[in-house]
Amino acid sequence: MSLILSPAPHVRTKNTTQRLMLNVVISLLPCAAAGIYYFGLRAAIVLAVSVVSAVLAELVWQKLAHQTVRINDFSAVVTGLLLGLCITPSAPWWMVMIGAFFAIIVVKQLFGGIGDNFLNPALTARAVLLASWPALMTTHCTPFDAVTSATPLMTGEASTMQLLLGDVPGAIGETCKVAILLGFVYLLVTQTIRWEIPVFTVAAAALLSWALGLDPLTTVLSGGLLFGAVYMATDYVTSPLNRWAQIVYAIGIGVIVVIIRKFGAYPEGVTYAILLMNIAAPLLDRVMPQKIYGCRKARKEAK
Amino acid sequence: MSNEKRGLGRIFMNGVLTENPTFRLVLGTCPTLAVTTSAINGLGMGAAATFVLLGSNMAISALRKVIPDKVRIPAFIVIICTFVTIIQLLMQAFLPSLYESLGIFIPLIVVNCIILARAEAFASKNPVLDSAVDGLGMGAGFTLALTLIGSIRELVGNGSIFGISLLGASYQPMLLIILPAGGFLVFGSLLGIINAIGNKRKKGAKA
Amino acid sequence: MKATFRGGVHPAHGSKAQTQGLATRSFVSDTVRIIMNMNIGAPSQPCVAKGDHVKIGQVIGEPVGFLGLPVHASVSGEVVSVEPIPYLSEQPAMCVTIHNDFADEWVELHPLGSVETVDPALIIPAIKNAGICGLGGASFPTHVKLSIKPEQKCDCIIANGAECETHLTCDHRLMLENPVRVVDGLRAAMRAINVKEGIIAIEDNKPDAIEAMRKACQGREGVRVQVLKTKYPQGGEKQLIEAVTGRQVPSGGLPIQAGVIVMNVATCAAVADAVIDGKPLVERIVTVTGAVRQPANLRLRIGTITEDIIGECGGFSGDVGKVIFGGAMTGMCAPNTSIPIAKATGGILVLDKQDAASVEEGPCLRCGKCVEVCPIGLHPLKIKIAADADRIDECKRLHVMDCTLCGSCSFICPAHRWLTASFKVAKQKLAAQAKKGGSGK
Repeated sequence: MSLILSPAPHVRTKNTTQRLMLNVVISLLPCAAAGIYYFGLRAAIVLAVSVVSAVLAELVWQKLAHQTVRINDFSAVVTGLLLGLCITPSAPWWMVMIGAFFAIIVVKQLFGGIGDNFLNPALTARAVLLASWPALMTTHCTPFDAVTSATPLMTGEASTMQLLLGDVPGAIGETCKVAILLGFVYLLVTQTIRWEIPVFTVAAAALLSWALGLDPLTTVLSGGLLFGAVYMATDYVTSPLNRWAQIVYAIGIGVIVVIIRKFGAYPEGVTYAILLMNIAAPLLDRVMPQKIYGCRKARKEAK
Repeated sequence: MSNEKRGLGRIFMNGVLTENPTFRLVLGTCPTLAVTTSAINGLGMGAAATFVLLGSNMAISALRKVIPDKVRIPAFIVIICTFVTIIQLLMQAFLPSLYESLGIFIPLIVVNCIILARAEAFASKNPVLDSAVDGLGMGAGFTLALTLIGSIRELVGNGSIFGISLLGASYQPMLLIILPAGGFLVFGSLLGIINAIGNKRKKGAKA
Repeated sequence: MKATFRGGVHPAHGSKAQTQGLATRSFVSDTVRIIMNMNIGAPSQPCVAKGDHVKIGQVIGEPVGFLGLPVHASVSGEVVSVEPIPYLSEQPAMCVTIHNDFADEWVELHPLGSVETVDPALIIPAIKNAGICGLGGASFPTHVKLSIKPEQKCDCIIANGAECETHLTCDHRLMLENPVRVVDGLRAAMRAINVKEGIIAIEDNKPDAIEAMRKACQGREGVRVQVLKTKYPQGGEKQLIEAVTGRQVPSGGLPIQAGVIVMNVATCAAVADAVIDGKPLVERIVTVTGAVRQPANLRLRIGTITEDIIGECGGFSGDVGKVIFGGAMTGMCAPNTSIPIAKATGGILVLDKQDAASVEEGPCLRCGKCVEVCPIGLHPLKIKIAADADRIDECKRLHVMDCTLCGSCSFICPAHRWLTASFKVAKQKLAAQAKKGGSGK
């Protein structure tokens, strides 16, 4: 009888990479459903093209680079779904495809693949699309019919109830706040993400907008703030590791969003706010290190 | 140096391929990224730099025994400045639109490290003819690289090359590529591809 | 109030249910194999030869060096061999095999009487002579732990009944069935070094043990029970000290530098046996659980062979994959089933082929879950990268030496990375490096 030998520990968590990514996908389903409900078939096509292109890009790259093909870890599905949900339902299919390829190949794989990208792939792709085809990316349409219209952030016309339910023009996944909150709760319950980053992001944005004389509720409920705070800012790879650094990172996002919205040239600033703080994340980890057990005195002496 | 033994053709090709200033030495990246928003800009910048390279390489090579070692860098800079001024005035007179679009990057050729590097590494140690060929080769390599990057960026970002529309009216140009970020992306990708080819060749040579 | 520490995980929920309700029963096998390096420090020197007759409690291994401890025969009978056998670590262990004659003949014992009246100066020698080391797994000689230098101050001894490891219930059963012995041992240790406060720390998943220990503490001087939150590694020495006293052991230091000594509850009971009855450490409670037909808590003689123990528990159920000495978080894999239990073996956990299947390491997600759970506050993901690239100095800068190898990071890692295993190797390399260059510094 031969016994298996291995180092400790001999039990491992059931929350594997695949499981965590699947959790994110599941938590995004309400957003996707709401988007398809409001914007119809076009939204479904955008989402499908985005997910399929992302997975295909990952597959092709890993084959070409002779790497282990890991598309079954669902991380490309998450990227594709996130990208699809944060662009407008009227986006042409080729643009969505380019975005997905860019997210997977340039942002993720060129920097070393899963866990090594320093920017959020989906958001970076969104930023690239926004810079490349500004007109196509900012053409929004009203729910249920194909009339093009500006987002409430540009016009300021929408009731709180409309904002909450998502009955407003905007990106596919960002309009229905109820669906986003549902997904947030699911992510918390399954311990996929922690509460700190979304809560501090939203709180900071609300507080600053109140201080600047804006309506905090409208700030929180309009645009992509909630979607970004729950799904984009909490991206494992591009958020800080240390707890205090995470909180400062989240506050930074909230503050930059409001500054861009109030003083910047763009009506919406969530994308750039998160990308900016992504870049600052390693720095925050450095300035705010973890307290190491038994090293309190040693640090004082070093000072 | 064993350059005397090499033919002049080899010195020329060294600049174009083996030690391409942009892709192999990664020198002069500032103008590379800044001016390559179109093919014509890349070509113009390359031509201007080639002129300066040729002139300064020859002058420095001719004066290499006269210039005292301790003050050689200031001396090189003065010589380079002379040629930059000449090309600047020439361009302003005969190619005003190109001069306009290249703007500050023409006078900045003075501090382009390709030119100073060739002066220091080659012209100050080699005879006039060799230096002239080296300057031409390096200039050609630089021009080629800039035109390539410029063409790609113009094609993707504007749908045309040298102003000639290639992709038709229905093409939706990807503006990002002619924005500064696009310069980094295109330059980085080309560097990666060229390194990959180089590595494969090396492996092939070994096998 | 329930005391706890920062970080930690909740592994293998319900794994203790198999055995925690089972009373301990004794089992004596006909052959025991007693290894000579059961404690940290140099292996003991065998002082019996093949053919010798030994009695229970007779010294068969003489202590060697500062950390040495005597080893005692755990059965009476004939020595059939003295030879090295493969053991848990890479090095083989010298082993004395004794054939039991079931006469149960003890050597002459020297009881010291009640722990409250005995001369404190006699306690530490008695502990040494009884061959007692930390029974929680670390196997550090108890008498050395208690021999504090005059300049060191100790104001509290913690009896560790947290038993945070998965699957193990031996300490739980001990506290339920023999709470007075635990308190006696704690009191003996307190009196030996004149400490006024003794705390018995127990996780809140053992309410019956808490109750039993509280009762046993009544009327005893300076001892009390502290309830802890159930979380792994609550029973780790550093975490326990932080949870109970709020103090931290300085980096690279010993608990005594925080003014605390931690002893496992089983060690306390062994101390009580040594002082009150004069009995050396020849038996202990071992939890046998997992893929065996009848999981049990067994009172076993030191040196009982795994095969016999599994047989006593009805044999394996299903295809056996791993036999683990200890719990699932820190236990070591047995190379075969003919190796015996040692003093610090608290449990034998059998995993079937499915549970024992080796896990494939995926790429790091940088999810930060390891940072979240590390009770020390390290960055396991970064240390792993440095360790895998053999950048030992970087590992040191990242405080790998402060790692307690609790395994929390490996447990929680979604990519199933072998974090703890890499840290162990890095720590060994650093220790070897320090030994080489240490004399010069």
